[in-house]
Amino acid sequence: MAGDSKFNFAEWLRSATGVFWKDFRSELRTRYALNALVMFVVTTLSIVLFSMTEENVAVDVLAGILWVVIFFSAMSGLSRTFVNEEERGTVMTLHLLASPSAIFFGKLFVNLALVFFLNTLVVVLYLLLINGFAIQSYGIFVLTLLLGSTGLASAATIIAAIIAKANTKGTLYPVLSFPILLPLLLTVMNGTKLATGPASLSDAAVEFRILISYSVVVTAASYLLFEYVWKD
Amino acid sequence: MEWWKIGVGIWLTAVFAVALSFPIVPEPKHWYEFPVIPGLEERARIIFFHVPVAWTTVVAFLVALWNGVKYLRTMDLEADAASSNSAGLGLLFAVLATVTGSIWARFSWGSFWNWDPRETSIFVLLLIYGAYFALRSAIESEERRARLSAVYAIIAGVTAPFFVFIMPRIMTGLHPGSRGDVQGSGPVVQFHMAPNMLLVFFAALIGFTVLFAWMMEIRLRTSRLELHFMNADSEQS
Amino acid sequence: MDFYKFLSQNSLYVVLFVVLIIWAGIYSYLFRLDRRLRRAEDQVEKHHHER
Repeated sequence: MAGDSKFNFAEWLRSATGVFWKDFRSELRTRYALNALVMFVVTTLSIVLFSMTEENVAVDVLAGILWVVIFFSAMSGLSRTFVNEEERGTVMTLHLLASPSAIFFGKLFVNLALVFFLNTLVVVLYLLLINGFAIQSYGIFVLTLLLGSTGLASAATIIAAIIAKANTKGTLYPVLSFPILLPLLLTVMNGTKLATGPASLSDAAVEFRILISYSVVVTAASYLLFEYVWKD
Repeated sequence: MEWWKIGVGIWLTAVFAVALSFPIVPEPKHWYEFPVIPGLEERARIIFFHVPVAWTTVVAFLVALWNGVKYLRTMDLEADAASSNSAGLGLLFAVLATVTGSIWARFSWGSFWNWDPRETSIFVLLLIYGAYFALRSAIESEERRARLSAVYAIIAGVTAPFFVFIMPRIMTGLHPGSRGDVQGSGPVVQFHMAPNMLLVFFAALIGFTVLFAWMMEIRLRTSRLELHFMNADSEQS
Repeated sequence: MDFYKFLSQNSLYVVLFVVLIIWAGIYSYLFRLDRRLRRAEDQVEKHHHER
């Protein structure tokens, strides 16, 4: 801010966690994003279940559908953190109170929390309700979920920041996110498919490497580009 | 009229004529004969059209990306005009590449679309272009539109290369049985082209790239004129 | 008549003919567009100098 030229990490950390807690508490209070996510998961899973009453669906397809549900649920909830600021008119205040990078990381962690919550919910429901879907290699499954979540949150956050400044936010969000997330989606679907079979961790090494580098690359690029999106 | 614009007319006419008239024979004995590629025969000629068009769409994307970065650094709206014009041309060439590619696929492999690596990557490129223009049409402020579409182009440019690494993985993962020639990437990478074919091929690449440069120049000049008349209007009123 | 017979057996030359026609159309479109732009730009230059 004005005056200090030296970067103070403690200050920055306080800013970022401040942004995080602000959004977190606000979300707990109003539960807009949480409601959207939960309702979306419930409705899509119901439709999947209805269509599967008698049929035995191949595990591969089920692995794919898992991530379809996750992707679209994410699309229904992860843009809230930025769109809320625009709608409530608090953008200017946020500009004054925190540096762009603190805001970026604060909101990234909000979305990370939302994604972890979402994924846990979907996976638990999936395992409980869908018969054909059984995990054989838990290691691969958990690691794929974790790494996939970070990539998803990261890409979803920067795109959310972009569309918050546009006009048709709702429909634009999945349109912009899909091409960016496609590499991630293809890789986690592959990993999940591997996890349903008797595979060892090293079999999925390629997937893990891709997921890690994706998360790193997207987070780094988002961090560098965020201030161009944020400034007005 | 600049010499290179006349030149590209003659150049590409020659390329097309050669691509579509040099006979394809099993044992080429003359410089004007192409060898037969087993499995392709006459259809091999599409290489001189389809691949350069696909190549041009990638060039167009890189130009759009480069100008996006340039805009973020200089805030010069001309860079943004270059970026969006290039993306527009890129979209045109991507559609052409997809259409010619799927026609080729129909006659070579049986169906119009197979989700093989090359097809999937051109599909992703189409999605990126579509998303880019959807974003641009959703922002009214000129400066904000330029800024946000530049950022999006960069994000897309950063994630797109990942496909190069996932593609082989996906193919082996999803296709347990091999399907005929699983030169999934298509014959372009696999077979070695005869020297005279290679020459014509590179001539086609160069020709299409120069054609793209001309189309870009026309669009940029048009944007500049439009800008000029818009300013003139506001000066008079 | 001989010409058509030749063409129906060597269909490649039909393709070549079609491609060249399409290319001629596209090229002349670009050429005319370029020339019109040049004329408009020269007009702008003239007005600039007259100012």
